Amino acid sequence: MLILSSSSASCFCYRPLSVSSSLMDSTKKNKFMEFPFVSSSHKTLMVDLVSTLENRFHSHLLPSTLPNDVSHYQSQSGSAQASLHIRAAQPHSPIDFVLGSWVHSELPTGGSFDITSLSAYLNTSTDAPNFVFEIIRNSPTTLVLILDLPPRKDPVLWPEYLHTFYEDTQIDTHRQALQTLPEVQPYFSSSLFIRAVSSPTGILVRIQTEDGGEERMEEIIAKHLDPVSKQVLGIWLDKCASASREVGDEEREYLKKRDSVIRNKTIEVDLGSSFPRLFGPEVANRVLDVIKDYFRVS
Amino acid sequence: MLILSSSASSCFCYRPLSVSSSLMDSTTNNNNKFMEFPFVSSSHKTLMVDLVSTLENRFHSQLLPSTLPNDVSHYQSQTGSAQASLHIRAAQPHSPIDFVLGSWVHSELPTGGSFDITSLSAYLNTSTDAPNFVFEIIRNSPTTLVLILDLPPRKDPVLWPDYLHTFYDDTQLDTHRQALQTLPEVQPYFSSSLFIRAVSSPTGILVRIQTVDGGEERMEEIIAKHLDPVSKQVLGIWLDKCASAKREVGDEEREYLKKRDGVIRNKTIEVDLGSSFPRLFGPEVANRVLGVIKDYFRVS
Repeated sequence: MLILSSSSASCFCYRPLSVSSSLMDSTKKNKFMEFPFVSSSHKTLMVDLVSTLENRFHSHLLPSTLPNDVSHYQSQSGSAQASLHIRAAQPHSPIDFVLGSWVHSELPTGGSFDITSLSAYLNTSTDAPNFVFEIIRNSPTTLVLILDLPPRKDPVLWPEYLHTFYEDTQIDTHRQALQTLPEVQPYFSSSLFIRAVSSPTGILVRIQTEDGGEERMEEIIAKHLDPVSKQVLGIWLDKCASASREVGDEEREYLKKRDSVIRNKTIEVDLGSSFPRLFGPEVANRVLDVIKDYFRVS
Repeated sequence: MLILSSSASSCFCYRPLSVSSSLMDSTTNNNNKFMEFPFVSSSHKTLMVDLVSTLENRFHSQLLPSTLPNDVSHYQSQTGSAQASLHIRAAQPHSPIDFVLGSWVHSELPTGGSFDITSLSAYLNTSTDAPNFVFEIIRNSPTTLVLILDLPPRKDPVLWPDYLHTFYDDTQLDTHRQALQTLPEVQPYFSSSLFIRAVSSPTGILVRIQTVDGGEERMEEIIAKHLDPVSKQVLGIWLDKCASAKREVGDEEREYLKKRDGVIRNKTIEVDLGSSFPRLFGPEVANRVLGVIKDYFRVS
């Protein structure tokens, strides 16, 4: 899910390393998978994550049915562009839907920022955690990464849940690996809800490469963010999405309620304020309505 | 509550700035023993005494005197290399407070170093759903310290966003975490226990402070000039906005709180004390003390 927090509003001047020349004519999936404004290591990472996820659940996922003006949209002036990619799953799947997205926006100050994200939401046939991945690139030398398997049950009330999905999987080793890099600091979202929704092993970091510059940032993406992200996705694919979980009726009601709160607050916190600001109320409403349809808990 | 995590076992040589000369005097009033905080620096002791006094004075009419047996309010290992003091005060039945728990532990290590832990927590009962209060300093050396200062939620803040608003947004609690975070010597602390992380609030202050350059003097300055005011402000928020809050708790909610409080208290004992107490004090002393603590921890 897109997290357009206050941190993304402070930007430096940023020149994209590759710009697609055919922005206005590609098929919707290509437009999304082009990731036209980000660096090559950033694009590679996104394409790999989306492909890995979608290939693993190839037989579960339905094609995207988003209208053209929702799969790619922009502000009136064209200073902000975005691409949305949503694939629902077959009824028998534990997956509800997969959501990918990128946003590129120039700012009045002359800078720009890019956000690329990929999340997978499971349905109430399972209580396993969801998958969330997002990179917010504010400048060539600053980046925020959110990489997490947010719990769908209160891990305090259910310590077994914590054991199964967060301890036994050794998922914290990946957070620790990134933490050792001197350029990496924890990132505290200005939204307390985003903090509360995150798992105890969530990777929420801000990376700044003042000394090493853009080159060092690209190196960090390729050599550190890339393998860590893939390992965490791997844990989600093997231990969460593929887990055989028993969900009783009472539990199902609980999951419905909790999933709803998370989805509604996510829309409110993430998109509700920034989308109209970036794209104008008309485009924002059109896109948000479609997203809300998919977000309705079943 | 005491958090004797793995970080406490890596210690440097530490000379306490003040040592009580009457450690072995069995006639010492045990409440004084607790409030003496005999092994920590003066700014650290001042902070503890101020926090305990402020909390207990505010709820003066609600807190009962401590009824701990002497061998539970102060205890040590067979060799005397580890000592601890425990202070528990239950509250009157009409109070929202269940009990207040203060404690200090001092332990020398085979390597020649030592560590000190001082803690203060307040647990509310199921007549209210407001957050608890947790404060703990783990001093590993003159130049390293871990601080845990938090108002742990008693309800899942995800399922109840209003709870998050009331106790964590509206109180501006995060400004205090941010204030500490600006100090270059301060880094976030990730407990090796995922449960401890999960129980913490979104605004919890869990930090590791290292003053390699500035040494012991800089650490004392940080305690006096930064930890002290921040801790008092957070305690103030707890006293005014949590312990004193008028909360309506229905029957279903009460059952939920009972269940959740029960899990938190049991896991806290298991994670915090269950392994370290026998290791530090031997199984006999540990069982005696843990038995008493479990009595107070039983949820009502």
